Amino acid sequence: MKKYISLALSCLATLTLSCDSFILYNPNEINLDRDERNLSEMNIKKIQAIPLRDTLKFILMGDTQRWYDESADFVKSANSQKDIAFVLHAGDISDFGINQEFKWVNEIMVKLNSPYLTVIGNHDIVANGPISYRKMYGSLDYSFDYGNHRFVFINTNSREYAFDGTVPNLSWLKSQLSNNPENKNIIVIGHVPPFDGDFDKKLEKDFSDLLGSNPNVKMSLYGHKHSFNNGEFYNDGVHYYVTTSMGARGYWVVRVWKDGYYLEKIEF
Amino acid sequence: MKNSHKFLLFLILLIPSAAFAQRAEAFQQSRKWYLPDHLKLQFAGGIGFLSGGPGYLSKNETLETDVLFGFLPQKFGGDALITITGKTTYSPWRIPLRRESYYVAPFSLGFYLSYTFGPQFDTKWPAYYPKGYYWWATTFRPAAYIGGKLGKNFIVKDRKRGFEFYYELGTYDLMLISYVQNRGYLDVSDIVNLSLGVKYGF
Repeated sequence: MKKYISLALSCLATLTLSCDSFILYNPNEINLDRDERNLSEMNIKKIQAIPLRDTLKFILMGDTQRWYDESADFVKSANSQKDIAFVLHAGDISDFGINQEFKWVNEIMVKLNSPYLTVIGNHDIVANGPISYRKMYGSLDYSFDYGNHRFVFINTNSREYAFDGTVPNLSWLKSQLSNNPENKNIIVIGHVPPFDGDFDKKLEKDFSDLLGSNPNVKMSLYGHKHSFNNGEFYNDGVHYYVTTSMGARGYWVVRVWKDGYYLEKIEF
Repeated sequence: MKNSHKFLLFLILLIPSAAFAQRAEAFQQSRKWYLPDHLKLQFAGGIGFLSGGPGYLSKNETLETDVLFGFLPQKFGGDALITITGKTTYSPWRIPLRRESYYVAPFSLGFYLSYTFGPQFDTKWPAYYPKGYYWWATTFRPAAYIGGKLGKNFIVKDRKRGFEFYYELGTYDLMLISYVQNRGYLDVSDIVNLSLGVKYGF
C-alpha cells in the first residue's frame, strides 16, 4: 500500500511540474516563477545602470486591470517611443487581486524595451493581492534615486484599510521627503490621488501639505480615475497628473530635467 | 465564521432536492436514505491541493452531487487555504468495456460552487465600500468543467461496489470573463485547469 501511495504522489509531483499552468489549487494561490519575484528591486538596479542624460524621459501609465489586449497594444505603442528610460505603472495591475492576473500583466510588461516599476492599486489589495504584490514586486511603499531625481512610490489606497488612518503612511513619506542631502527633485507616485474619495479625507491635508511645503516636489503622479486629469489642485506649486486606464488607451510621456518638466498625452 | 454557517445552510438546502429523491428507492432495502453513496478524493481543480468528501448518486447513475473539503498547504499555494465545495456532475453515457465490470463515461459536464475561508475574503463587502464598488465576492467561486471517467464495478461482501478514476478540465467565473474580454491576448488554454480524482462507491 505504501508503495502505491508513494507512486501516486510522485506521479502527482511530476504532473504538477510538467504542466504547471494547467494545475490550479485555488484561485487565491500564489504561484510564481523565479523570474517573477522581487521585480521592483531588480528593475531599480536596471534603471540605475542606465547612463544619465540631461533630460530623463519615462512613461506614466496604469490600470491594466482585465485589459490584457489593450495592455499588449500599449507595449507596442510604448516601444515606438524613443529614449524611454522606464515605465511607471500607477496601480491596479490586477482586477480581482488574483495571482494569475499579476502574472499575465508582467508577461505583457516584460516585452517593454525598458524596465517597469509599479505602485499598488486598490484592486491589487483585494483578497490575496497584497501577498502577490509583496512577493512579485516588493514593498508597498518604496523609493529610489536616479540622477537628479528621487521617485517615491506610496500606497494611497485608504479605503482598502477602512480609512483607519494608516494609509498612506505619512511618517514614512515625511522621511522620504526630508532626508534629501543631495537636494534631488522628488516625484511622488501613488494610485489614488489625494483629492479622490478613496483617499482618507482625514489625511488629505497633511499629505498635500507634505508635498506642497517641500521645495523639491514639483509634481506628483497617479492613476485610478480611468481618465486623464491634471492641475495644481492645492495652489501650492505641486502639479498633479492623473493617467488614464489601458481600457481608455492612453498614457503620459514625461520629460524631466534639473529645472523643469514637460508632459505629453499619448493615445494609442 | 458567520459566512461559513450560511454556506453550510445553503448546501443542506441544495443537495437533497436534486439527489435524495431519485435515489431513495434504489437503496432503501440496503441502507438508510441519508447515507452517502460514495467518497471522492480529488487533486487540484481550484478547490484545494487535495479535497475529499461524500457524495450521492442518482438512481439512473448519471448525476453525482458531492461535498468536498479541500486543503491547500502554504508550501504549495503561498498561503494555507481551506475550501468547502458543493459540486454536481452529469455523465449521461456509460459504455461497458469488453471486460464487463469495466466501463467508460466519456463525457461529463459539471458545476461547482466553492467557499474559501479567510479574513481576507468577503461575501458581503464591508460598509466602508459604496454599494457595488466591487461586484464579485472573493469567498465564493462558481466554476464549470467537462471531463470523463473510467470505472470498475466489483462485489465485496455481497454488495456492489465501484471504483472510478476521473479527470476534469474547468475554469471559474473570473477567468471566463477575463478570457471573453481579451480574446486576442488570452487563449482558452490560459484559463483552463486540470483536476484528477478517484471515487469509491459503496
